Amino acid sequence: MREHVKGVFLVILLGLFALAGALTLGIQAVYGHEISIILTLIAVALGYRIYLHGIRSLWHGNVTAQLFATIAIFISVVAGLVLPSALPIFGTAEAVGYLTAAAIVAFIILAGMTLEGYIIHRTRGALEKLIKMSPTTARVRRDGEEVEVSIDEVKLGEIVLVKPGDKIPVDGTVISGHSAVNQATITGESIPVEKTVGDLTFAGTLNENGVLEIKVEKIAEDTTLAHLIQLVEEAQEKKAPIQNVADRFTTYFLPIMAVLASSVFAASYFTLGFEVALDRTVTVLLVACPCALSIAVPVAVAATIGNASMNGIIIKGGTHIEKLKDVNLAAFDKTGTLTVGEPRVVDIKTFGKYSEEDIVKYAAIAEKFSEHPLSKAVVAKASEMNIKIPDPTDFKTIPGQGVEAHYGSKHILIGRKMMETAISEEADKLMGQVESEGKTAIPVVLDKQVIGIVVAADTVRENSLEAIQRLKSIGVKTAMITGDNMQTARSIAEQVGVDEYYAELLPEQKVEIVKKLKNGHVVAMVGDGVNDAPALANSDVGFAMGAAGSDVAVETADVALLGDDLTKVEYAISLSRKAFSRMKGNIVYAFVWNIVALSLAAFGILTPVLAVILAEAGCISVVINSALLLLNKPKPLAKI
Amino acid sequence: MTVEKVIFNTTKIDCTGCRSCATDLEADNLRHAIARLSGVSKIKVDEITGKVTVEYDNQKSSLIKITERVEKLGYKVETISREEIK
Repeated sequence: MREHVKGVFLVILLGLFALAGALTLGIQAVYGHEISIILTLIAVALGYRIYLHGIRSLWHGNVTAQLFATIAIFISVVAGLVLPSALPIFGTAEAVGYLTAAAIVAFIILAGMTLEGYIIHRTRGALEKLIKMSPTTARVRRDGEEVEVSIDEVKLGEIVLVKPGDKIPVDGTVISGHSAVNQATITGESIPVEKTVGDLTFAGTLNENGVLEIKVEKIAEDTTLAHLIQLVEEAQEKKAPIQNVADRFTTYFLPIMAVLASSVFAASYFTLGFEVALDRTVTVLLVACPCALSIAVPVAVAATIGNASMNGIIIKGGTHIEKLKDVNLAAFDKTGTLTVGEPRVVDIKTFGKYSEEDIVKYAAIAEKFSEHPLSKAVVAKASEMNIKIPDPTDFKTIPGQGVEAHYGSKHILIGRKMMETAISEEADKLMGQVESEGKTAIPVVLDKQVIGIVVAADTVRENSLEAIQRLKSIGVKTAMITGDNMQTARSIAEQVGVDEYYAELLPEQKVEIVKKLKNGHVVAMVGDGVNDAPALANSDVGFAMGAAGSDVAVETADVALLGDDLTKVEYAISLSRKAFSRMKGNIVYAFVWNIVALSLAAFGILTPVLAVILAEAGCISVVINSALLLLNKPKPLAKI
Repeated sequence: MTVEKVIFNTTKIDCTGCRSCATDLEADNLRHAIARLSGVSKIKVDEITGKVTVEYDNQKSSLIKITERVEKLGYKVETISREEIK
């Protein structure tokens, strides 16, 4: 590809020199005949790709702008070569003039084509970046030795070793080691994520500081990164509906131009003579390029989708850009979307002589080996407080009720329902209060005495509040839809600041709410893409968040947020609004540009060279304007 | 290793009229998408006719795999010819 571009530049450069030389000679008008031949050769050499394209398209039944350019140049060349001998009024100067114009026109079209091609190629930049992040080799442990092999040779289930500073070559699970991993390639979030045993890793992400051993689960074309690249490619090919407007126009554009060119020729021939008629027809053919119209939208769509992908957002086609721009209500699922989705210990209440450490320690001993999310929250809290947790002497989990354990001579009970102890009035009141706030109270009983209460709650994500505020700032209403109870819902709704909330809903009721909200609103529904897939499918634009690694979520959603950053919802909407207004602007601009240029050409105000410059300038400005969407950036997150 | 050469028509790449600027974008995309499939050694996309020529190692890839990819990109595929060349 690069070689090809280089070749074209070389031709352009040579053409320029030859042209400059020929022009200098031409002014002297001494070697008229020789110059004519040189100019003809230049026009043919510079434009051969255009002619080939034009003629081949015609052969396949398509009238194209290349065909027009070919005809225009052909007319000029014939006029320059044949007319002086056929018509005595034609001097050498006129002949050289025609041929010079033909050569310059061919040169400008070629230059314009190259520049457009280059810019269009650059809009693939985002995709190329992702492709470049695809690993090519991996260090695999085989027969106790480390060997570096090509990525094609890595097998599922093998163990790869990733050193600090290396790219992780596969999707897999960490089986030993600990490190910070920069997942910006996938999620667009550049703050490294801690990875330790049991965590999932993605191919193409960067291991920053520790050595990791990873068990291979997905390779090559099956990795999350590879899927991402494919999705972006597919999305860029999906047209935006507004494209149809431009397409419909361009379908009629060229036939109309052919008629227009013939009429201009006829009208001028009978009133102003052959020479003027020739000039004007050539000029009309040269400005008759619907180029700006036909590429304004596709380039903008590609640039927008590329930009989004660099920010961890996959917009799955041009249609969704148009829907996104109209979104005026964003509904969020609660658990796992606005909240982290796992309970955390948020408070510890103590009774009597016991300290917070005591409460957490005894609770953690009893819960050490339990898999329940609440138990995990307690154990996590203990290690956060640097409390060493000894093993319980024995323990048993009573499903739905709690845990009973012994530690030496001590008897520990966790959980409300299995307490044989009468709860003190103080503890009872406290627990009631905690639960009314939508949190979970876990009483800790030591030798039949309540020594304290661990309060756990699902916590709001770091960026949820900011995400909601940003949406409000661009005029989007917000709502929360949850299956959870009213108290919890109210508490979370207040913390994140949504405009309205709906609680205690079954999945099918969530769908009903979405349908109701759609009455009068364009609704974006944000969820994890798995549990709330029906609600997502029924909204105008379904967002799945945290979608990296979950093919189902990516598949269901119209827009997939690969990371956990909810502020990207606002970014996707803002970017789409900008993109759409640019598409529309470009179409209008290209339309007006075409009309003006055509009028000027038909009335003989433009020369052929000026005409082609105008046409190219119109086209290139539209391409650049669209491609610039790639440079859009989200507002940085406030540091917390 | 056997290399197969397959030629197929794709019907979305229709010239919209201009100097194939829009088509360039699509053809470029198509070219890259096929080139990245494992086993593909040569790829040519004719942006005027929509004809695609691919050479690939048929132990690493298959016609089905390639056409599936192209179809996912939004094209209708119609195989014209298929031959073993090595």
